Amino acid sequence: MKDDIIIRVISNLLIPFIQLYALYVLAHGDLGPGGGFQGGVIFASSIVLYVLVYGIDEGRKRVSQKITDVLNSIGVMIYGGIGVACLMFGGYYLQYGKLPLGDLKEASHLGIYGIEIGVEVTVAAVMITIFFEMARRGND
Amino acid sequence: MFNIAATVIVLAAALVIYRAIKGPRIYDRVLAVNVIGTKTVVLLALIGYIYERPHFLDIALVYAIINFIATIAFLKYRQTGGLD
Repeated sequence: MKDDIIIRVISNLLIPFIQLYALYVLAHGDLGPGGGFQGGVIFASSIVLYVLVYGIDEGRKRVSQKITDVLNSIGVMIYGGIGVACLMFGGYYLQYGKLPLGDLKEASHLGIYGIEIGVEVTVAAVMITIFFEMARRGND
Repeated sequence: MFNIAATVIVLAAALVIYRAIKGPRIYDRVLAVNVIGTKTVVLLALIGYIYERPHFLDIALVYAIINFIATIAFLKYRQTGGLD
């Protein structure tokens, strides 16, 4: 489909903004609709668009299997790491207020941000993996 | 006024559903679904005004993006028989 000039140009224009919008949804998760899961899905949809336009081999060159496999685990490790860090500073699991990041409100805010970042990384990687596995030919 | 506009858009979408069901070719159906998606974007923005919750604009943006990608994915599947 990369010979189609309209689709190629429009996709090249849209993909960076979709990724920026995914980060916006992540950062405004506590003020509006959105959060880690939604941001991750929107981020994965930009990769889906890239693969639709340029083909699955070109897409795997940009986002290789190794990267998605590692990112799958890194997101979970961020989530669990923040939870265990709360345990180590004397609170319960995921009790953000105990983190040494300023007063109670600010620490809670930053802790939830960290959790959302972990969720976003994992969800984006898992969605990209699912799409690649489903789009591959001869796999049914 | 926003209520009237939202009602008119819902009625217009109902007209397009006729084309989506009846459409003789598959491209008529794809175009109908695309038009319904575009109307949904406008409808979400109007709902944001009616209930005075501007966060609906975020949802409208997401809907526009997903609508675009879904149309391209369906047409590519139709043309080449696969997504890769």
